[in-house]
Amino acid sequence: MTTIGATGDIRERRTLRSYVAQGRAAVRRTATPYRMPLLAGGIGVTVVASVLPWAKRGVNFTTDLAGDLSAAGIGGHRLYLLILALLCLIGFTKVDGARRALLGLSIGALVISAYMFYELLSAGGGLGAVGVGAWLGVVGSLLLLVAADTTRESPRLVWPALPMVGDLAVIVVAVGGLLALLVIGLGIEAESQFLSFAVAVGAAIAAASSLGASLALRTAFDRYRLFGYFICLAAAIAFPFTQDGDATWMAVFARVGVFAAAAIGLNVVVGLAGLLDLGYIAFFGIGGYVAALLSDAIFTTVHVHVPFILVIPLGAMAAGAIGVAFGAPTLRLRGDYLAIVTLGFGEIFRIVAINYTGLTRGPNGIAGIPDIKLPPWLGGFDFGSPHTLFGVLLPFQSNYYFLDIVLIAVVMLVFARLNDSRIGRGWIAIREDELAARAMGINTVALKLLAFGIGATLAGGAGTINVHIGEAIEPNAYQFFASALLLSAVVLGGMGTVTGAVLGAALLIGLPEKLRSFQEWRLFIFGLALVLLMRFRPEGLIASRRRKLEFHDPDEGAAGSLGTGLEEPT
Amino acid sequence: MTQFFQQLDNGIVLGATYALIALGYTMVYGIIQLINFAHGDIFMLGAFGGLWIFNRLPTSMQNNHVVALPICLVVGIIWSVIIAVAMERFAYRPLRNAPRLAPLITAIGVSAMIEEGTRLKYPGAKAPLEFPALLPGGGFTVGGVTVSWAQVTVVVVAVALMIALQAFVQKSRTGRAMRATAQDPDTAQLMGVDTNRVIVVTFVLGAALAAVAGVLQGARLGSVKFDDGFVAGLKAFTAAVLGGIGNIAGCVAGGFILGIVEVMAIQYLPNGSGYKDLWAFVVLILVLVFKPTGLFGEQVVERA
Repeated sequence: MTTIGATGDIRERRTLRSYVAQGRAAVRRTATPYRMPLLAGGIGVTVVASVLPWAKRGVNFTTDLAGDLSAAGIGGHRLYLLILALLCLIGFTKVDGARRALLGLSIGALVISAYMFYELLSAGGGLGAVGVGAWLGVVGSLLLLVAADTTRESPRLVWPALPMVGDLAVIVVAVGGLLALLVIGLGIEAESQFLSFAVAVGAAIAAASSLGASLALRTAFDRYRLFGYFICLAAAIAFPFTQDGDATWMAVFARVGVFAAAAIGLNVVVGLAGLLDLGYIAFFGIGGYVAALLSDAIFTTVHVHVPFILVIPLGAMAAGAIGVAFGAPTLRLRGDYLAIVTLGFGEIFRIVAINYTGLTRGPNGIAGIPDIKLPPWLGGFDFGSPHTLFGVLLPFQSNYYFLDIVLIAVVMLVFARLNDSRIGRGWIAIREDELAARAMGINTVALKLLAFGIGATLAGGAGTINVHIGEAIEPNAYQFFASALLLSAVVLGGMGTVTGAVLGAALLIGLPEKLRSFQEWRLFIFGLALVLLMRFRPEGLIASRRRKLEFHDPDEGAAGSLGTGLEEPT
Repeated sequence: MTQFFQQLDNGIVLGATYALIALGYTMVYGIIQLINFAHGDIFMLGAFGGLWIFNRLPTSMQNNHVVALPICLVVGIIWSVIIAVAMERFAYRPLRNAPRLAPLITAIGVSAMIEEGTRLKYPGAKAPLEFPALLPGGGFTVGGVTVSWAQVTVVVVAVALMIALQAFVQKSRTGRAMRATAQDPDTAQLMGVDTNRVIVVTFVLGAALAAVAGVLQGARLGSVKFDDGFVAGLKAFTAAVLGGIGNIAGCVAGGFILGIVEVMAIQYLPNGSGYKDLWAFVVLILVLVFKPTGLFGEQVVERA
């Protein structure tokens, strides 16, 4: 007689993943009784590591490392490591969410240590260059990671309801803190130190989020939305004053602002209505060509000068009209067909712009686009000259930056009002299930056309400003890649949210400027990021609640989201 | 009139390439309703794989094209298939049940990775790399139309592969499993079809055909570039849509029609070569607007 063992017949598949999980479980089992000493040891070792020298004396570094790493002292990445280690003291309390917070902090510490270890290794040409601090840093953060993994599972911390002052303070502290971090980060010259800083900030934000900070921020924002936007606006306006007359970052942020506005427009099309538009940059370009032709540029083919205040609506309307004309026949198509057709449209725009040389000057483009000058009855403000305000010199790029803020504010308003309206709900219904939406009496073709037209209009408006910032326009700046970049700004930030689109644009346009040595790898990393994002956090960094539910099974719980946990209401 | 037939000849050769690439789109779409955006890059990878092995062959073999061409083809196929299978396994399979936007965006990411990876591997690949002229030289003239042996080779190889594919899909056991999966994946699975395997087979077949197209095109035109796959992929997709996506015979016809249309437009329309890449998109939009099922397609049923 044969007996079938209870465990004998169904064997777990032996995959790499199962081995890793087994190993991790074994480590956790062994380490759990020693959690407190491990945590104390990890913090102790990491703190000691952050004051010791990280490099051997006399090693000649070829790469750009901040300060003298062969001397003892705190500074640069050692400071960030110290802060992360000290934040790990939270592990001695029994507060909810401590496990996730500790995991975030220790992973951050490990990434910084390991990365700097590697940098020293490659810069110094071998293990001989690596000082005692680097070794201790890696060991200490590994101890922290093990200790974090033995911490009891607990739900995310929920703060008690705050009084009004508390809510307002949460908003001010959060927004002000982010502005301060941005200014500090931009001020860090050495790339390795900037990367360490970014990792530390990411880890700290993740930890704060699992300790309930992001939930509290969201609650506060929901309750005092107007105040929240006002504080954000104030922070955005304050930014140029922190740059002390330096034009470098103002130039970058002027471009970020334009792209953010266009990304919000694309978000109407993709995030709300669910129409994947892969030729969106064409509308941006149409607005750009309208502005370039009507500005009496040096290399213009049409010698007219229309005041800029009229050019914005003209460019927006031209793009919107072409968008509607193109969308009317094609929007009946199903999702992925539409994606390819819009891509085709984007390419058609570029090919026509290259070949229709009589108007566009072909591949040479139109250069020498003058700066915007407002008419005398609007004060005759010249966007091309710097201004001094409150004793701070603002380079001329900040004029465009302020113009961007106005543009973004308008676009945000359009987005928010549409999102909360009957139209917005119609779009979401179409996005979820077009057949069902039509069955419920929604005029799907008209609504889709509206979304497409609004998206095109917003892109056209942003495009007019863009060419004045760049002072030139040429067709090859409007390749498919630019559409993909905008799309990934939307996807990365979070489909269907305004904040997400702005964040995405800032990260995708701003970060490459900071990480110059990754320039070559930029597109590759961007492709990889898209793949990983769709795999692990398809709702984006800042998720709209609705989107999040859509992408994750309800019973999957929080397991699917390992990010910041920031969410924005839809 | 001679000019017309000469262009017809050129169009058929171009169309054969489009059709070979389009088969990969149409098969993958037929089975998992995914527009595999990165398929054009798989075509490009085939050419780079062929070039890679060619540069490593001893000179005597390089000069003997009868030996070198099959070797380049095989290595190109292997290289494309490896990447295509990896792409299916790691990028697309985890998203099998995700909303449709997700795999499409993933496909864009994969495409960027393949193109950029190739560019980074070959520094200076911003400019086209020289590809050996492996196809037989010379040709013959029929009534004033010059037909080169290279063109004949391309068309013969392409048509042979298309017939083989059609036979495989219609006659073999795996082919039947493919058709069953295309009709209804869930039922097919209940009937004992390993749908995951069928999907992998589909990607392998598509990649192999695209790689052949890549090597042949490289050998015929004498150059390859890391972003060759983008436009070629879009045109092949147009061909697939033109013939009715999911329909293998229609897809081949679509490829030839598109190739001929493009060549004729270049010849007979003003500034034709400037607008060379435009016509595929115009055709695509017109087809989708007026006959979204394609010229030979059946009614596409929308699946939930």
